[in-house]
Amino acid sequence: MRALLALALLSAAGGAQAAEPVLSAQEQQGKRVFDHICVYCHGPGVWGTNRLARRYDKDHALLESRTDLSAQAVRTIVRVGLGSMPPMRRTEVSDADLDAVAAYLTRKSR
Amino acid sequence: MAQSPVRPPGVSEDSFQAALKAFAAIVGPEWVLVSEEDRHTYLDAFAPGNPDEHAASAAVAPKSAEEVQAIVKAANRYRIPLWPVSTGRNLAYGGSAPVLRGSVVLDLKRMNRVLEIDEELGYALVEPGVSFFDLFEALQAAGGKLWISTPAPGWGSVIGNALEHGLGYTPYGVHADTICGMEIVLPSGELVRTGMGAVQGTREWQIFKYGYGPVWDGLFTQSNFGVVTKMGVWLMPQPEAVAYVLVSLPNVDDLPVMVDTLRPLRLNDTINATYTITNPFRSIVDGFSAQGKSRADIYKGPGSIPLEVVTRELAAAGRGIWNATFNLFDRDKGLDLRLAAIQEAFAPVPGAKIQTRRWQRGQPFEQWMRVQPGLFALGIVDWYGGPGGHMNFAPVVAPIGRRVADLYDSIYKRFVEYGIDYYCGLLNVGPRALLVNAVMFFNRDDADLIRRGRELYRVLAQEGAAAGYGDYRAHISFMDAAADMYNYNGHALRALNERVKDALDPHGILAPGKQGIWPQGSRGNRGRT
Repeated sequence: MRALLALALLSAAGGAQAAEPVLSAQEQQGKRVFDHICVYCHGPGVWGTNRLARRYDKDHALLESRTDLSAQAVRTIVRVGLGSMPPMRRTEVSDADLDAVAAYLTRKSR
Repeated sequence: MAQSPVRPPGVSEDSFQAALKAFAAIVGPEWVLVSEEDRHTYLDAFAPGNPDEHAASAAVAPKSAEEVQAIVKAANRYRIPLWPVSTGRNLAYGGSAPVLRGSVVLDLKRMNRVLEIDEELGYALVEPGVSFFDLFEALQAAGGKLWISTPAPGWGSVIGNALEHGLGYTPYGVHADTICGMEIVLPSGELVRTGMGAVQGTREWQIFKYGYGPVWDGLFTQSNFGVVTKMGVWLMPQPEAVAYVLVSLPNVDDLPVMVDTLRPLRLNDTINATYTITNPFRSIVDGFSAQGKSRADIYKGPGSIPLEVVTRELAAAGRGIWNATFNLFDRDKGLDLRLAAIQEAFAPVPGAKIQTRRWQRGQPFEQWMRVQPGLFALGIVDWYGGPGGHMNFAPVVAPIGRRVADLYDSIYKRFVEYGIDYYCGLLNVGPRALLVNAVMFFNRDDADLIRRGRELYRVLAQEGAAAGYGDYRAHISFMDAAADMYNYNGHALRALNERVKDALDPHGILAPGKQGIWPQGSRGNRGRT
C-alpha cells in the first residue's frame, strides 16, 4: 500500500523527495510496521488522520509528522485503543514491533 | 502467570489453572494471554452495550496446526470452551470476543503464512491469520497477475471472511464460493483435509472442490464444528480493464425500478460483479465520512433523520436519491458492450443518470476499483460523533422490485419508530439474492441509543421471520435471535446442527453458541445474550 501511495506521490511531485534523517535500525523496523498496519488509518487523507485533524488541527493530524508524541502514549493508545480505534492485540503487533513503532513516531519529538 | 477474574462457566479454579499451564506448555508462556491489558484487547471494540458480557477469560495463540490440535485436546481434558478467531477483526459481529463469557479465545493471528500462490491456476493456500492486506501484498510481490476480492475493511482474515459468508466487489465477490479445500482440526483434535486434499501427497487440492463423497466445506462455515487451519482460495486473474458505473435515479420511490432493471443485467452476467444500491441516507453518509464529518454537521434533531433533510442534502450535492454502484471486469472492448447494454436498459427509466470511469492494465490502481484493501469504510462508525459502533440486520431477499421495496419499507418504518437513522445498502449475493443490509449506528457511550438499537434488531428479526426472511449473519449478541428466524418445522435445522455438534464435539468445547448452535450441556444458555 505504502509503496504504491509513495509512487503516486512521487510522480505527482515530479520525483522530488522530502529530506528524511537517517533512521536507526529500530526506527526502520517501526516504519515497516507502520506501513503494514497503521498507514491504512493514519496515512494521508484517511479516517484516523481526518479524525485527528478534527480533534486538534491539521498540524497534529499526520502521526508521522508529529513532534510532540511520547513513546508511552503510543504504546498505551495501541494497546488500549482511543475513540473508535480498537486496541491492537499482542498477536497483531508484538511488544518489540510496538516499541519500534513508538521509536519511529517519536523520532521528531526527542 | 497473571490471574484472570473471568472464568469459563462450570470450570473449577484448579482446572482452569491446569488448562492454562497445559496451553503454556504447547505454545510457550508468552502466548497464553491472561493479563488485564491483554484481555482488554479481546473485548468487542464495537460492543453494543457492556463488552464485559462477552469477556474472554484468556487467549491462547498457536503458531501451527499441530499446536491447535494439542490445544483442542487439552481443552477437552479440562472442559475449556475455546473461541477461535482468525485475525479477530470481525467488528460489528463481535470482533474477537466470544458468545459465551469466560471462553478462552483461540487466537490464530500468528498463523499468518501465505503457503502457496499459483498464478497459472489462480489460487492461493493460506493460513487463518492472513489478512486481505497480507494476501494483496504477497500477490503483488509474486507478480500481480492475481487479484483478491476484498470486503470493505481489509484487516479481516481471508479465511475468516469466507467462513463467515463475507462479500467483496469483484466477480469473485461471494467469498464462500471461492473456497477450495480446507484443513481442519476437529473438536477431537484430529486433522482432516477436505476435497482432493484427502488424497495423500496430492497436488490437486485447490482445483476441485468435490473430491469423492460428501462435500464437507460448507459445514465448517458459520459453524462450530472445527478449526480451519488452512484453506484454498480461488483468485481472479488480473483483468485487462475495469469500469466503474454509478446509476442514479431521482425519486424516493425509484427503488423497485432500480432493482428490476439491474436484475436481468446481473442474471445474464452483463454486470459481472457485486452491485450495491445505497439508500438516500447512506448516499450522504458515505460522502461525509470520507471528509471526517458526522451527523451534527447536517442535523441536530432527535429521532431518525427526516427524509426531507436527506433529500435536500443530496440535491445540494447534485446526487440522485437512489444510487447503485458496481464495477465491470473485461477487456476494453468487452466493457464497451457491457456499458452499452446497461445504458439501453436504463434508457426508458425517467431521470436515470449513468456515470462511468475506466481503468486499463498498466495504469495505477484507483480507490473506486476496490482492488487494494483499505479501511476507508470504517469512518462511518463515527456517524453519531463517536466513539462509535454499529449493528446490522441483513435479511436475504430475491431481487424483485416490489418485494424488495416492501421489505425495505417495513424496516424503515421500525427505524423511524425507534428513532434511529436508516443507513441501508442493498448488495447482491450472486445474481439471485440481495441482502438488505440495514445498519444501526450508535455511540458506545449512549446507553439509550444502544438499548433502542438492540430492541430494534429483535423486532426486525421477529417480523422478518414472520414474513419469510432470514438474517445472513449476526453479532455475537444476536446469534440466537438470528437462528430463531430459521424456524421451519420446529427449528428442525437447528436440531440437526446440534445433533452434528454433539457427535463431533461431545464435550462442547468449540465455540459454544456460535450461530445459535449450542452443545449438549450448555443449551440452557440459549437466548440469554
